[in-house]
Amino acid sequence: MEMDLNMLRKDLAKISGEAHVFTDKPTSLVYAKDVMPYDVEAHNMPYAVVRPAGSQEISRILRYANEKKIPVHIHGSGTSLVGLARPKTNGIVLDMGRMTNIEVFPERGYFEVEPGLHVAKVRKVLAKHRAMLPAFPGSELVATIGGAVSVNTSAHAVDAALGKPGDYVLGLEVVLPTGEIIETGTQSTRRPAGIEVTKFLVGSEGLFCVLTKLRMRLIPQPEMENIVAYYRETDHILETVMEMYRQGIPAPLFFEFLDEKSARVGFDAVGLGLPEGAVAMMCIHSWSKAGCKEKAEKFLEFLQVGRPTQSKIVKDAQEWNKIWSSRAEAGNYIYRLGSTFGSEVTPRVDKLKEAFHDAKDAILNLKSYRNPDFYSFGHIGAPTIHAYAFIPSKDIPNEVKKAVVREVREVTEEINVKYGGCGGEWGLTAQRVSFLKKRYEAPYFQLLLNLKRALDPNNILNRGNLEGWV
Amino acid sequence: MKEREKLRETLLKEIAKCRACRFCVDVCPTYQASTGVETLSAFGRLQAISYLLRRTLDFDDSLTYALYSCLQCRRCEIVCKSKGQNLEICELIALGRDLLSKPLAEGRSHERI
Repeated sequence: MEMDLNMLRKDLAKISGEAHVFTDKPTSLVYAKDVMPYDVEAHNMPYAVVRPAGSQEISRILRYANEKKIPVHIHGSGTSLVGLARPKTNGIVLDMGRMTNIEVFPERGYFEVEPGLHVAKVRKVLAKHRAMLPAFPGSELVATIGGAVSVNTSAHAVDAALGKPGDYVLGLEVVLPTGEIIETGTQSTRRPAGIEVTKFLVGSEGLFCVLTKLRMRLIPQPEMENIVAYYRETDHILETVMEMYRQGIPAPLFFEFLDEKSARVGFDAVGLGLPEGAVAMMCIHSWSKAGCKEKAEKFLEFLQVGRPTQSKIVKDAQEWNKIWSSRAEAGNYIYRLGSTFGSEVTPRVDKLKEAFHDAKDAILNLKSYRNPDFYSFGHIGAPTIHAYAFIPSKDIPNEVKKAVVREVREVTEEINVKYGGCGGEWGLTAQRVSFLKKRYEAPYFQLLLNLKRALDPNNILNRGNLEGWV
Repeated sequence: MKEREKLRETLLKEIAKCRACRFCVDVCPTYQASTGVETLSAFGRLQAISYLLRRTLDFDDSLTYALYSCLQCRRCEIVCKSKGQNLEICELIALGRDLLSKPLAEGRSHERI
């Protein structure tokens, strides 16, 4: 279809104002480029980027898009690690970046926020009210709250300790793909029982609606105690996590780890002495200082089950800051040394160790790139296994990058299928449709298609993500 | 000429290190002043330079507003150093301007400066 860009620009400018519509190529490119390591292609380039100010404008844009049959791709900050942010087809990109209002209502027990506000900024506003935001993406400096709720990811936090952001969403204002503006949920802190629309719009990855306002419960900021434990090998950490669930020990809010190789990179990056093996770091939370202290001491006692070479509650804030940052820095520094290709395996917890070794074997035996290195770090207590293939070069042809991404995804999908998991952090549609088909029976996927069709008859929103397009 | 070709290769190689984490986006004063247009951020500028140098993009009237709006304040570099790939972003943008200026000067009028 030949698109009349001048006409499109004029029509969108009538809705959002000329200053907020872009049809130039640099802008199209920037909004098409995401974390996926391969190049943006012509079919990914949006015709236009529009930056609406509110739900009324979005409603008009979607009615227009339906009338003209132009796909609309929703853009938060473009930080998805699995390709959600890259448009799969030419169309209109809806940038939520101007919708950043937030209001906190302590007397009502909730806050309301527009989707474009960056997660770190939401956290800063809530901190003034001694409230905690239940989402901890590594990209929080720039990732949007709308994106986090659209994927329903608490990211680093352990589900067993906190749940998902969706568990705290009391209600939404959304624009349906056909342009109707609806409000869902409640203004009470008592969430609706029974059938209620909020829960299937949360986590719908921009396929069912555009989120325009989120109402979320205020969670009192807990007290925290921090623990670090050093192990001879990763296996001992895996055994500890399995044992934690088996014994019904309350899970820490964060339970992160660095495998042997990542630990060296991460500790070196923050200027700590190199550890001899793998490292686990845990944040214990509770709503009173005394309770937290007791919980941490008990957890430290429990940790001895995994035979750490050393383990302690870290009291010194500076020391903890270094230990904690080593996890994030491991990721940055490993990438600085070459290219990483990530995956997300979330096995049944009693199969954690087997799944970890399967993932390691799968990465080490890739066919698309021979003999890559294997690194793993992340939210092992969740449990999430991030198995990374590392190639010590950034100079890799586009086609090889594509092939490695595809193969890493496929081989780790098999492990999720084998051990009954499905991922719990990165979202499940964009580029993971093949997994959904493998993991579940055909009627399941048909149900998703039916839901999509019922809400979005012209397949306007995020077209291609449910079809498995790249 | 050869030297410019070499410069082009070096620049592309450096920009290829960008992981698209976008941490540099939020700190950019021109991004903030534009209420959040990502083209007006370090990330946006590096992408534009990279695709232009590889001629994946045609030259566009509005390129200058992306490339020449950089204030060279180096805030992005501080973030890139601590959380990203430690790129000398402002240097790369300056090089990009240098390499792309000639074709730009031969282009059409610039509508968005």
